[in-house]
Amino acid sequence: MNFEKVIFGFFIVLSLTLNVGFFLGEYDNAAHHSVFELFAVVIVNLIATGLKLGDRSQIGAILLATSLVADFELIAAALRWTFAVHIVGTGVTPDVMASIIALAGGALVANIISVVILVSETLMSRL
Amino acid sequence: MNASQDISRVSFIVMREMRAPLMTILIVYALAILGMVFIPGIEVDGKTQYLSIFHAFYVMSYTATTIGFGEIPFAFSDAQRLWMIVCIYSGVVTWFYALGSIVHLFQNRFFLRAVEEWRFSKNVHRIVGPFYIVCGFGDTGSVLVRGMNDAGLRAIVIDQSEERIQALKLRNYKTAVPGLCANASIPRYLLEARVQDEMCKAVVCITSDEEANLKISAMVRLLNPKTGIITMSKVDDFEETLATLGGEVHIVDPFKTFARVLNASINNPAFYALNNWLVGDKGATLESYVRPPVGGWIICGYGRMGLEANRVLTKNGIKTAVIDPHSRRKEEEIDTYVIGHVNAKTLSQAGIYEAVGLLAADADDGHNLGALLNARCLNKNLFTIVRQNSHENEVAFSVANADMIMQPTLVTARKILLLLIAPLLKPFFRYLLAKEPGRKERLKQLLALLREKIGDQKPSLVTIDFTLEKSSAVIQALDAGEEVLLGHIISDPRNRNVELDLVPFVIQSCGKEVVLPPKDYKILEGDQLLFCGTATSKDLLKSSINSEYTLYYLRTGRYKPMGYFMQWYERRFSKA
Repeated sequence: MNFEKVIFGFFIVLSLTLNVGFFLGEYDNAAHHSVFELFAVVIVNLIATGLKLGDRSQIGAILLATSLVADFELIAAALRWTFAVHIVGTGVTPDVMASIIALAGGALVANIISVVILVSETLMSRL
Repeated sequence: MNASQDISRVSFIVMREMRAPLMTILIVYALAILGMVFIPGIEVDGKTQYLSIFHAFYVMSYTATTIGFGEIPFAFSDAQRLWMIVCIYSGVVTWFYALGSIVHLFQNRFFLRAVEEWRFSKNVHRIVGPFYIVCGFGDTGSVLVRGMNDAGLRAIVIDQSEERIQALKLRNYKTAVPGLCANASIPRYLLEARVQDEMCKAVVCITSDEEANLKISAMVRLLNPKTGIITMSKVDDFEETLATLGGEVHIVDPFKTFARVLNASINNPAFYALNNWLVGDKGATLESYVRPPVGGWIICGYGRMGLEANRVLTKNGIKTAVIDPHSRRKEEEIDTYVIGHVNAKTLSQAGIYEAVGLLAADADDGHNLGALLNARCLNKNLFTIVRQNSHENEVAFSVANADMIMQPTLVTARKILLLLIAPLLKPFFRYLLAKEPGRKERLKQLLALLREKIGDQKPSLVTIDFTLEKSSAVIQALDAGEEVLLGHIISDPRNRNVELDLVPFVIQSCGKEVVLPPKDYKILEGDQLLFCGTATSKDLLKSSINSEYTLYYLRTGRYKPMGYFMQWYERRFSKA
């Protein structure tokens, strides 16, 4: 058993599942999406990215790239939320919520790709 | 000859051929447009309308090309229409003349040839990394190129026959094989195939013409003293000339190769089985021992093959009788020499009733099959070896049910392929066949090992170079002062306690060969390993010698931390 694989697998699957949790619900209804969930997704995603830094293998490079995509989109979603609530002051109106969920949806796809790569790599090399 | 020169030649031909039609079009257009501009049109609002140069060119363009949009921007006056009639007839005729010239140009043999050469040169220059030039794409060439392609070697083909090059282009190769229809003994074409490039690892001369092969070999040696030359030759005189060319020259003589195989099968059937299995003979298994019986043999056809076979048989103390239409040429050790065609009479003269074996070695497939059937009628228990000259007669030979079929083209192609993909096989075979005590037992052990590891799967011979390009992880570990053992890299990356399904044959290190290397052999940079294994094991081994993480696992049984975080964690906590 490879200890590093356990830790990395844990974080990458956790970030996918949290992402799904945040994404579920009516896409423009702010009551269905919690800001704490978004916060957790961002943090877990950043940790997963950090764990992959330094890997020189090909698969490692792809995993790092998908992780970075998810980070990028989730941070954009968090910024959108912050702007709406604190800077513009409109609050989370349905159109703001819709654009946040659109970004989170994109991050979800990147996370799914990550998990698929992780699982297939594991199946390939340690059958 | 480089690509830009070819382009300039092609464009020169185009310009020269198109000069007259282009000039004609230009003059006819100029006159027509001038006329249109100066001829007054109809009056609109009391003003006479003239065509502008732009409109005149537009009208002329669609008129001369017979598109005919009509009269614009206003209906024409009668004077304009009169001029239009002139324009239509002269313009359309000129256009057809120009189109005809283009069509004619595309049918010009020299033009097509120049384009073909330009394309070939472009494709050849697209190849990066090592490549091989194959001169001659007959039966031998097509088997060889297919084998090279499967083994991932890049080939460039030159053949004199247009038909063969067309056939080459229709093959479904994994990577493109550029082909040129040309006489390969002309240096210009060899240069076009990049013979002087340092990536040109070898030139293979297998045209059906012995003299051409010799000529090509000489040209290649002059043009590139470093590249390898592999030549098929069946004539002793030529072989002597070839051997003195200098540099790396391999001469492949299908009949001598066959003679060696025949000798091996008489003395060492296990080796014969191994050889056939390795080259991928149809239906060959490690168990298929074929042992030619000792007794009287009849050789039908005393050409090059008959001669070589006779030598081997007499050397092994076998009595031979020869049937050949030509009279005896040399004083060889032949007990009976019957002059005549193979038939019941000559066969009985040669002693068919007492014979145990028949070798049909004529250069004609019909004669060989005839001899085989004839002889079987007279003696049912014969051991038969038959020579198949043409690949087209495959079906007839497979139903003829001979004990051994010798196909010179196939023998040559396989021999060359082995020279290219497994050059270390030669010292390996030399070791196995050496007349030293214990070698036969060694061979038996090897066969048992191969049977256990590979069994019924298709064996592939693989040569691994321990260089930075081919096995980066191994070189990295060596540079870091670590030891990499042969036992490490042949373990299964999925579980290091299990070995991959392969058998290492030879390691060449610093010019010396280690045959059947032990598992604790320490790999050095620049070593070359030859092994025989299944396709899966080949892929797994190739991936583990290129991945530092897999190699670390194979060497130590532990997993190398991949990310910075785990590297830090390991440093911080694991030592404590």
